[in-house]
Amino acid sequence: MSKPNDLVQGTLDLLILKMLALEPMNGWAVGQRLKQLSADVLQVSDGSLYPALHKLEQEGWVSAEWRQSENNRRAKFYSLTRAGRKQLQIEAGNWDRLARAITAVVRLQEA
Amino acid sequence: MSIERRLRIVSLRLRSVFRRREVERELDEELQDHIERQTAENVRQGMPPDRARAAALRALGNIELRKEQVRDTRGLRWLEELPRDVAFGVRALRRAPGFALTVVLTLALGIGANTAMFTLLRGTLLRPLPNRDAERLVYLRQSAPGAQEQNVLFSVPEIADYRASAKTLGAIAEYSSVLPFTLVGADGTAARIRAGIVSGNYFDVMGLAPVAGRLTTVGDDGPAAAPVVVLSHRFWMEHFGGDPRVVGRTVRLNDRVSTIVGVVQAAPDYPRPTDVFVNTVTSPHHLSATMVTERTHRMTEIFGRLAPNATVAQARDEIGHLAAAMFRAHPEAYEKSSQYTIAMLPLRDAVNERASLTFWLLMGAAAFVLLIACANVANLTLMRGVGREREMLVRAALGAGRGRLRRLLVVENLTLALLGGALGVLVAWAALALLVAFAAQLSPRAREIRVDGVVLAVGLATSVVAAVALSFLPQIGGEGAAAAPLAPAGRRTTLGRGRQRVQRSLVVAQLAVCMVLLTGAGLLVRTLAKLQSVETGVRADHVLTIELPLDGPLEVVVMNQPANLARYERLRERVAAIPGVGVASLGVSAPLRGSLVDFDVKAEGRAAAPDRPTPHASLRTADPAYFTAAGIPLLAGRAFASTDRRGTAPVVLLNQSFARQLFGDENPIGRRVAWTGAVLKFTPISDQWRTVVGVVGDTRDQGLEGDPTPTMFEPFAQEMVFGGALVLHTTTDPASLAPTVVRAIRETIPRQLIEQVATLEQIRDETVAPRRLNALFIASFGTLALAIAMVGIAGVLAFSVSARVAEIAIRMSLGANARRVYRMILGEGGVLLATGLAVGLFGALAVTRLLRGLLFGVTPHDPMTLGGVALVLAAVGVAACWLPAARAARVDPAVVLRAD
Repeated sequence: MSKPNDLVQGTLDLLILKMLALEPMNGWAVGQRLKQLSADVLQVSDGSLYPALHKLEQEGWVSAEWRQSENNRRAKFYSLTRAGRKQLQIEAGNWDRLARAITAVVRLQEA
Repeated sequence: MSIERRLRIVSLRLRSVFRRREVERELDEELQDHIERQTAENVRQGMPPDRARAAALRALGNIELRKEQVRDTRGLRWLEELPRDVAFGVRALRRAPGFALTVVLTLALGIGANTAMFTLLRGTLLRPLPNRDAERLVYLRQSAPGAQEQNVLFSVPEIADYRASAKTLGAIAEYSSVLPFTLVGADGTAARIRAGIVSGNYFDVMGLAPVAGRLTTVGDDGPAAAPVVVLSHRFWMEHFGGDPRVVGRTVRLNDRVSTIVGVVQAAPDYPRPTDVFVNTVTSPHHLSATMVTERTHRMTEIFGRLAPNATVAQARDEIGHLAAAMFRAHPEAYEKSSQYTIAMLPLRDAVNERASLTFWLLMGAAAFVLLIACANVANLTLMRGVGREREMLVRAALGAGRGRLRRLLVVENLTLALLGGALGVLVAWAALALLVAFAAQLSPRAREIRVDGVVLAVGLATSVVAAVALSFLPQIGGEGAAAAPLAPAGRRTTLGRGRQRVQRSLVVAQLAVCMVLLTGAGLLVRTLAKLQSVETGVRADHVLTIELPLDGPLEVVVMNQPANLARYERLRERVAAIPGVGVASLGVSAPLRGSLVDFDVKAEGRAAAPDRPTPHASLRTADPAYFTAAGIPLLAGRAFASTDRRGTAPVVLLNQSFARQLFGDENPIGRRVAWTGAVLKFTPISDQWRTVVGVVGDTRDQGLEGDPTPTMFEPFAQEMVFGGALVLHTTTDPASLAPTVVRAIRETIPRQLIEQVATLEQIRDETVAPRRLNALFIASFGTLALAIAMVGIAGVLAFSVSARVAEIAIRMSLGANARRVYRMILGEGGVLLATGLAVGLFGALAVTRLLRGLLFGVTPHDPMTLGGVALVLAAVGVAACWLPAARAARVDPAVVLRAD
């Protein structure tokens, strides 16, 4: 039996983009917020978070800057770029369609 | 992709390459920050601190792996891995030094030849002229093909007419180079220089700027202006060491004092090498009535600058119409049979006229050599690729990506190609002096040839393109079905059918290109041989010639007649007394050199045919011993005698072809002829009747290619003496005698100008020199190509033999004897050879037509040359097949079959 928090492939990008659309935050906070908002259902492994963030940065969807954080330490803050906002719309649209399709299939009445 | 995003990506990539350490540090810091926060969070949730940290670390997993994953996202890993790839490539090549050396040398030759030729081409033909808006400049050429005149120049009235009527030409500049000037500097040293007499607007029209002082302006035109001199850049550097203080100094030019007002920027010497530019007042002749008013007194070259919005085609059209109207309005100045016509060339084309064809052909030949070189390297790479296929498979199986393997190949080939390229550029650089000397014979821009950034860039680009192309030839593990055979331990030694075909086609192409190049070389060598067998009309050995011009302008020189004659007689007598000088003679110029003047000629009692151009001949003067000294045979009548002097009955000698032109088969001796024509009245030469006393042999005074120049000789002592040359028949080696003769002349008349000290053999060689270089270049390219192609064909066959050893062994064990095997391998090579030759034959027939303009005495499809080249190629080709065939025949089936 697979773990329930396994993410559908490719959705991690969507989730990160969505988190950053709310407000700029650092890598750790992205993971934390995701856990909280999904009531611990979606647990992104800390290991896969950073490669994903860096990939989004290299793609130009997310920009990063070093800022003083609340505890007066330097932290890397990520925020969404204009291109990232567009990408978020596209990926969210894709997700919607996929989710609707899967739901429709799953709810088919069995004869 | 939006520009904003693209820029962001580019700057990130650049940062990860150039600020790699910083990026890595930030990644460390970021992950560290994460661990801190997670530890704090874990503690907040009630874990003991040490376990909290461990949990945070565990959640992150293998940190190094994470870092590696992050690095992967940067997309420029290949750049980071480059040093490792290069090191790997170099190691791989060290293991195959023979292969590496062959490839590097082959590419060095190919790239070297190309870089050299490109350097030549760029310096002379490709670089824009230094003139401002040079593409708007045109050169006008008036010619009279009916009278065998390629360029009759323009007269002042003609120029005035064009200037007044041509709307498509904004301005017309004049340039004329008359006789040499003598320049005397402040220190009293005299030098003969080449002066260009130019109109005041010349530099403005030509779009040239001063590097010191000023250039001439319209204020310098006319008889009232002060004489001024503008130095050419080259003359300034050579004579004054580029000293800007030279401006304002005065020099004596002939008999008048002129002021140096400036130095013009470096520009190609066109139409003639020019040391200094002077205004018209410097040359009294240019202000004389004949010069200014006579329509047939043509001695000026003209350049035009197109009017705004006018095109060359429009200007050509308009000038054509104006010229036609002019020919109708002044029929006396444009003899119908001479077929006067005007051509207009963009200045750039005019400057490049002589060099263009040859240089492009050489560039083409060099490109062919590179093609062959690349084909050869491609073959070598293919063969090596087979051997390495297993290596590639193993690497692929061990997890190397296909891209990474391809990259390894590219890096390896780049290393080879860049080495080859660097070596090639060195070769080109070393050949530069030779190149410039060669180019100088054809292009006035030879001095501009240098290896510069663009040349280097082209060499580099050639290398890179060659390397990348070569990297896509061998197969790489995982591509297609080739991955499978790794499992059985078998060693694949042959190429796939497709690649074999590629390999064979490459050999055929090499042979074909060789055939084309060698045919070109053959034709040029035959041209050279034909030219060298042309009879010059003189006995060239043991003759020394020395030009001894008179100092000063012509119109002054002619006033001193008895003194001039006495001067030359004195020199001749002094030189005749030197031991080793057999016969010392005088003439106005040396044989095989052009003459100073030529005029129309009429023969008494023979009306000139109306449909044929008026007879026209060069005027030369000679003393009685001249023909003996130069070995020009007397064919009829008598030579000049010492009694043929001023005051005695005027006599002439005709050369053979002119005698025939004037009198046909009739005996010319005793007939009377006279100079005639419109130009004669501008000269001090008389139009009196002169009796023909003899006929001498023809000499090739205008190069070896044309017909002999019609010539009429007058006795040296009977005609005006306006210059002279010593022609000495020596009993010892003429070249080694030259210093003694020059010293004797200096002792006799210290300020005598001495020029062109040369043996007749040297003069003759000068005329063939450009062709010799042509032939040399193409022939060396051809030989280079041949060598490379032979390595290619031998290599392919050798490879084919080693791949088929097992097959040959089986054939032999089944009864085939050594001779059969021999024949089989030779046959394989023979098919390649025959195909290559056949393709090459067609190629040669198509390409050598371009050579037509450079040939003499042979047709572009000369069967002798084609046959000879095919024979040579076949012979060398068979020799190249011999070695591998012999090896195949020595195969011992017992040994081979047991080994497998």
